[in-house]
Amino acid sequence: MKDAPEKTPPLDSPGIIRLQPKLSRAERGVKFFFLLCAVSALGSMFLIMIFLFMEAGGLFFSGDEGAGVGLKEFFLSLDWYPTYPDPSFGSLALVLGSLSVTLVSILLATPFGIGLAIYLSSVAGPRVREWLKPAVELLASIPSVILGFVGMVAVAPFMQNVLNLPTGLNVLNASLFLAIMATPTIASLGDDALSAVSQAVTDGSYALGATRWETISRVILPASLSGLSTAVILGLGRALGETIVVLMVAGGAAQAPHSLFDPVRPLTSTLAAEMGETAIGSRHYHALFALGAVLFVLTLAFNLLAFYLARRWREKS
Amino acid sequence: MVEDSVIISARNVDFYYGDFQALKNINIDILRDEVTAMIGPSGCGKSTFLKLLNRMNDFVPGARLSGEIFIGGESIYAPEADPVVIRRRVGMVFQRPNPFAKSIYDNICYGPRLVGVKKPKELDELTEKALRAAALWEEVKDKLGKSALELSGGQQQRVCIARALALEPDILLMDEPTSALDPIATAKVEEWIKDSGLSIVIVTHNMQQAARISDKTAYFFLGELIEFGPTKELFTRPKEVKTENYITGRFG
Repeated sequence: MKDAPEKTPPLDSPGIIRLQPKLSRAERGVKFFFLLCAVSALGSMFLIMIFLFMEAGGLFFSGDEGAGVGLKEFFLSLDWYPTYPDPSFGSLALVLGSLSVTLVSILLATPFGIGLAIYLSSVAGPRVREWLKPAVELLASIPSVILGFVGMVAVAPFMQNVLNLPTGLNVLNASLFLAIMATPTIASLGDDALSAVSQAVTDGSYALGATRWETISRVILPASLSGLSTAVILGLGRALGETIVVLMVAGGAAQAPHSLFDPVRPLTSTLAAEMGETAIGSRHYHALFALGAVLFVLTLAFNLLAFYLARRWREKS
Repeated sequence: MVEDSVIISARNVDFYYGDFQALKNINIDILRDEVTAMIGPSGCGKSTFLKLLNRMNDFVPGARLSGEIFIGGESIYAPEADPVVIRRRVGMVFQRPNPFAKSIYDNICYGPRLVGVKKPKELDELTEKALRAAALWEEVKDKLGKSALELSGGQQQRVCIARALALEPDILLMDEPTSALDPIATAKVEEWIKDSGLSIVIVTHNMQQAARISDKTAYFFLGELIEFGPTKELFTRPKEVKTENYITGRFG
């Protein structure tokens, strides 16, 4: 096996020549250019982050409008009344709004997305797969404003009439369209995860007298579990960050939802709706940045989780 | 009782991948409790024939067959034949070890659980029996809960053998089972094949291996069965010139 040499000579000892590609002047220029691209991309993201958190911080310190908002009020209060004479800036109702539509949409999208992924990877023949997979991925390119529009003019009145609700713009309606948006992500990434299970292993299962369904449920699904969770979490991230659909169909009421048919006001739509109407530097302005920071942290957490699961998946296979 | 001792019998088998004819008019009778080796150059059809015996070619798009194959007297390509049932009776070990990403124990119990064995005691017993039969019990008895992927290649291949044996198949098919193994692991698997007393059909690209472990040898060339007979005779006094050319290393 691989035995490490007992002693590695230090790299700067005499007689050691360091090997590296020799670059011409032009090549060094090209190298510098790409380095610049990479640094400016990373750098601008970093600056945006700093800007976001600095402006968010303004909410919690005293300023022209008096004492700063307490952390407790911001995180735990359900009252979001930023424009009242005696305003309150509680984010909890908005966070719950975001989480409720995200969660319900993922509950709807996961069975469809994973089912579609199983169909693509293990059931469909090569010819069906050849056109179905691109078709599924194209579904992701429908502009979300169109989905929002359908939700607003078709689904909302329908829901309102059939279920006899005060409004058809509610958690369920928004979740439905977020699910439509998340399904292609889950299906496509899920298909990649399932297809990565080697043919040799599935053959092994068939050769032991397993049926197709037994092979899928006992070998393919367990082996790709972390890849599938990554797919679901990235779909979840997509639903959480989506703005225009929830702005149009979630109803916009800043309250903690008690049922699927309550209207809510997710973080994203609050930002989109209110940012244009606040005075720069006002308390309300800082509060919106603070909401942005919360959204950023939530999205980052989901992505880190997906990243972690994907890495564990790669290590296993 | 010649008829009773035949376990596999192929009659006029032609096999096609799409337009390509991979097997031409194969007729062969393979005996119970013998080790039958199939040799021949790459692409000669020996693996294709092996995979016909447990219907693994069903998964190949564009695969077509004519003729009949009987296992234990039953036609396995008859319309009413169930591939799932056939594969339980005809086990298979593949070229590369392909254990599931599960514990050793769960690997062995995979087949029995499929046929409805649930009692822990029964599963424990047949796990031990299968691992003993595959000459692996002593090496793994203290780590049955460990992932099979943590074992060495040779041990993994013997897990795959044990996994197939747990269903107590009538026949074991082996498709170049040692080609991914080092010489020591190969020797262990070969020793196991010789001592097993089972009906084994083994495809190998290694003529010495065929000579060492098999009772009968079949030589395939370009989709045809050129010669089939007792291993000793085939290697010492081949009847066909093509066989002689191959085993003396003039080509292949």
